[in-house]
Amino acid sequence: MKNGLALFLGVFLALALSWTGLLLTAHEQIGGLAQYKDPVDETLYPLPMSGLADEGRLVYQDLGCVTCHTQQVRREGFGSDIARKWGVRGGYARDYIRDKTVFLGTSRTGPDLRNVGARLGDTARPDEYEEWFYKLLYAPQSVAPGTNMPAHAFLFDVHPTAGRQPSDKAIKLPARFAPPAGIEVVPTARARALVAYLQGLKDTYDYPIEKSRNANAEPPKEGGH
Amino acid sequence: MTSSAINDRTEQMEIDASAKWPVLVFFGSALFWLLLGGVLQLVASIQLHTPAFLSDCVWFTHGRIAPAAQNALVYGWGMNAAFAFGLWLMARLSATTLRHGGWLFVAAKFWNIGVTLGILGILGGYSTSFELLEMPRFVTLILLAAYALIGVWSVTTFSIRNTENVFASQWYLFGAAFWFPWLYAIAQVMLFKAPVRGVLQPVVNAWYVHGLYGLWFIPIAIAAAYYLLPKVLGKPIANYYLAPLAFWWLAIATAFAGGSRLIGAPVPVWIPTLGVVANFLLVVPVVIIALNLFGTLAGSYRALRGSVTLRFVLISMLGFVLASVFNLALSLRGFAELAQFTLLAALRDWLIFYACFSTAMFGAAYFMLPRLTEREWRSPAMVRAHLGATVVGVVLLTGGLAAGGWEQGRLLLNAEVSFGAITHAMTLWYTLQSVGLGVLIVGHLAFLLNFIWIACPFNSRRTAPAEFRHPPDLELAKAPEGHA
Repeated sequence: MKNGLALFLGVFLALALSWTGLLLTAHEQIGGLAQYKDPVDETLYPLPMSGLADEGRLVYQDLGCVTCHTQQVRREGFGSDIARKWGVRGGYARDYIRDKTVFLGTSRTGPDLRNVGARLGDTARPDEYEEWFYKLLYAPQSVAPGTNMPAHAFLFDVHPTAGRQPSDKAIKLPARFAPPAGIEVVPTARARALVAYLQGLKDTYDYPIEKSRNANAEPPKEGGH
Repeated sequence: MTSSAINDRTEQMEIDASAKWPVLVFFGSALFWLLLGGVLQLVASIQLHTPAFLSDCVWFTHGRIAPAAQNALVYGWGMNAAFAFGLWLMARLSATTLRHGGWLFVAAKFWNIGVTLGILGILGGYSTSFELLEMPRFVTLILLAAYALIGVWSVTTFSIRNTENVFASQWYLFGAAFWFPWLYAIAQVMLFKAPVRGVLQPVVNAWYVHGLYGLWFIPIAIAAAYYLLPKVLGKPIANYYLAPLAFWWLAIATAFAGGSRLIGAPVPVWIPTLGVVANFLLVVPVVIIALNLFGTLAGSYRALRGSVTLRFVLISMLGFVLASVFNLALSLRGFAELAQFTLLAALRDWLIFYACFSTAMFGAAYFMLPRLTEREWRSPAMVRAHLGATVVGVVLLTGGLAAGGWEQGRLLLNAEVSFGAITHAMTLWYTLQSVGLGVLIVGHLAFLLNFIWIACPFNSRRTAPAEFRHPPDLELAKAPEGHA
């Protein structure tokens, strides 16, 4: 190889081909994916996230939660995601069109969070679940013993109650993790946004069109023609 | 010594003199980032087994410090080192001096300002959360502008070459010089400027990450091996006629392989499938390159005893083969089911970046810096410490991440095992990872000390040789095809 121009053209083509073949083709195929209107309840799915939850997405992004948590449920038969109750079905591309930033993630140092809003931890009611998240963020060991998730105490306002009305948003921690008497722990606006985002993470609607398209082919029946 | 050999030597000295300061500036910055990135990486690793470590300050929370470490290593150490080595090698192989080097100082300054702002941005909460593109958006233009200067220098040096032939290392350097800015600019546009929707974002991200490792770091490492082996051994590359085939095949297949990172992800299934096919096709160029390199080394293993450069290059070659095999394994669905999202997936990128690329840069530095500064390495003990720490660290981390990742994947697949139990079982492996990273840092410190001694302009002492054997005679031995 002596010709500089030929080298340049080859180098250019190698990448240009993969760009058109991979990225542009994929964009052509699913770039225009739209919400699906359910024929029965006439609602568009996936449901958009609330404004507060969208702010929480930015907190999730800046704290780098994606470093340890994926947001993708692999389908039945590929991994134990369904058996671990990380979702009721594998994820579809359509689930993600509501997300301004998609955090698929590459590491499961922590559990998958794609449906964390539908799981309820070990609590019974949604309002208890909110509290459960605050406890997890402030003192992870208090609700998930043995975890190596770092505490996110900086998302909380820890101050003495002396001389002020106690906050109704203060979280109630088990004695081992609670601050000394006279001091309360109140979630900041960032913590509230983050928890709203986490609670909004749920892909519970199953799209009839995706279901038929993604289903495994039925094994052929014996003797049938 | 013939008169043409003397001419060659004078010419090489002129080229080295023109490249001296740009190379020292880039390599010095690279070493600074190698140390800083290594420490950040160690902190992030310690946090996995001691979660309370530095967790009170939001700047050092694990989710920020881990990507900051990765970016410092990739854009700080990796890119600066590649610039230093690439510019020098391009000048040498093109038999022309590096002209108007002053502009390269400007480029180096801007590149490092960009990386500094980027790392501070990640730690300060402006991360974008896209792998290896975490740096805040405003940094992009600084980096691209700085890169433009560096890339243009490399390409201009190539285009005013005084040689008839173009050697294999030049193809790889030339290709990488174009691929990086294209990959980076396209990823920036498609993720931030005019963002694509939904799962196309991870597709673009995977394409970029795979491209950065496969079309920038691997080509630079291969360029180093193709150059250093024949130089130090004094014999041409074996089966050199196959090398062009490997180059084109590697480039095209790697460019399509990015989708293999998305096996099982909610993307159209042809994307990972295409990536898997491309990874299988990569077997051919990897075999050719291995034939070229190991074929050259065959029969000359005794030379390893004499040259520290050669030893690092050998580690790099083994790293390349191992990373390629591993990349192929991760394309097998059964293995991917277990390995993806575990330490095993992290191991693939680490093998490429550290075991293959970084060790190649160490080898290149041991060859290049004494020639540029016309001094010897001051402390042979430090050279041995660096080499020893590299070997021990690479073995510890490869073994530890592989065994730990296997354990992690196996436990994750078993839905009966609670997440707390998995974390508990992993503590040992995370600790081992910290030990391995610590060992590497010790080696880097030893290397830094030697670098300061050799690069410092006030140190006029010419000190004892640290090369186990003095190489200039070898350098003049039979030059391989296309060599300046």
